[in-house]
Amino acid sequence: MSGAPKPTPGLDPARKAALESWLAGQAEARAVAVIDEGRLSGGAISLNLAVTLEIDGGPLAGNHPCVLRTGSASGVSASLGKAEEAAVLRAVFAVGATVPEPLFVGADPAMLGAPFYIMRRAAGIAAGFRMVKSEEPRRDLARELGRQLGLIHRVRPGAEGLEFLALPEPTAALQAAADFRRWAGRYAASDPVLAYGLRWLERNAPPAGDLVLCHRDYRTGNYMVDGDRLTAIIDWEFAGWSDPMEDLGWFCAACWRFGRNDREAGGIADRTDLYAGYEETAGRRVDADAVAYWEAAACMRWAVIAIQQAQRHISGTEPSLELALTGRMLPEIEMDLLRHLDRVGGFPMFGGGA
Amino acid sequence: MINDDPGARDLVAIALRSFREAILLVVPAEQRFTALMIANALGVAERELAAGTAAEPALAAAVGGLLGEDGDLPDLLPKLCAAIDAGRFDTPDQQAALRAVLKDITRARLALSNPKRLAAEGQDAER
Repeated sequence: MSGAPKPTPGLDPARKAALESWLAGQAEARAVAVIDEGRLSGGAISLNLAVTLEIDGGPLAGNHPCVLRTGSASGVSASLGKAEEAAVLRAVFAVGATVPEPLFVGADPAMLGAPFYIMRRAAGIAAGFRMVKSEEPRRDLARELGRQLGLIHRVRPGAEGLEFLALPEPTAALQAAADFRRWAGRYAASDPVLAYGLRWLERNAPPAGDLVLCHRDYRTGNYMVDGDRLTAIIDWEFAGWSDPMEDLGWFCAACWRFGRNDREAGGIADRTDLYAGYEETAGRRVDADAVAYWEAAACMRWAVIAIQQAQRHISGTEPSLELALTGRMLPEIEMDLLRHLDRVGGFPMFGGGA
Repeated sequence: MINDDPGARDLVAIALRSFREAILLVVPAEQRFTALMIANALGVAERELAAGTAAEPALAAAVGGLLGEDGDLPDLLPKLCAAIDAGRFDTPDQQAALRAVLKDITRARLALSNPKRLAAEGQDAER
């Protein structure tokens, strides 16, 4: 969201007409009408538009509530383009994960101004602060989210359609640490918490292990729930090949508990339920030390993303109060990192590292 | 530059107070998130203008203690980063001493950006 009020950027008539004509071809339909139902809250990087497709003829004939998802003016380094994001979604849909089915991918930026895709619209809510508001821990939900992550991690390098995803070098952890150092830029030379976090991640990196498709933003706030039923895992723009423990560390990291620090699995339940669900479907055990490493990495990743978000504002490419304030979240993210390293950082985790 | 009164801190403070008392309660629901962000931003700015550099000498002494040299905080922080990069805080004991100072620095920043979180930190420390 931008600080200054401006008209909701939906579909202007010319683009809507072009989209409808293109969709008719894609859907092998006589005609397609796109009913624009307005913007959905979609985070700071993507733009989500609720649409209903009225498809006349062809294999998909009928009305389909959908979401049209497209990029915003400037992204952060880690984010995928929308066509790539759709390919990831297709791969995890194919292994049976609970994700919105992607229906149409518009890779040509000329049509709507940026690449986009259209997926089915899931019911329910995603808002993190509402998800953690429950008297009792949501143990079944945590277990199901563990099972879902195990399914997602069945997608391995070599999967068809995901050739564009780079393999980490030399290991997932050291690639992440190098990425964070690059994204932190000059801030790592003046902010000693960043310098310490980077040094710690480099020296404590776990050895190379399995590489799987990681969601990389798997957390409360990025899944949708209708009542008690998980309806969709969303926001796939950071997906990539990595250590499977990265997603578990991200889910459990202090910064994604929405104030419910007593429920370490995303503010909704204990880790036990999440881990048990994961081991049911993943075909591997949870490595608690590696998860602890990736929780430190989670704080650092969030810190450098916050820096990048702030840069989008500071550079003038996308003046925004929300992005500006994200930059001032750095102290609380860094305090989470320091507290985490107080718990685990005093000893070498994997033989002391480099 | 001629500095007329009231100054920046006073202007931001009274702007925030007026916004809270006269505007925030009547903004429509769809603008409420933006309105809360405006109040938050003005609050951070007000606290930063009020605090000035008052916290810096104590933090500079703590950082200087780690490095074994004196100086102002803006000069010492890049030196601390370089010392960390060079491996001068790699042992568990050195890391513990480093983290204690880093938490002091971070608390001083939280006092400006998020006093609620700082208060929660205080409760955690007492447990």
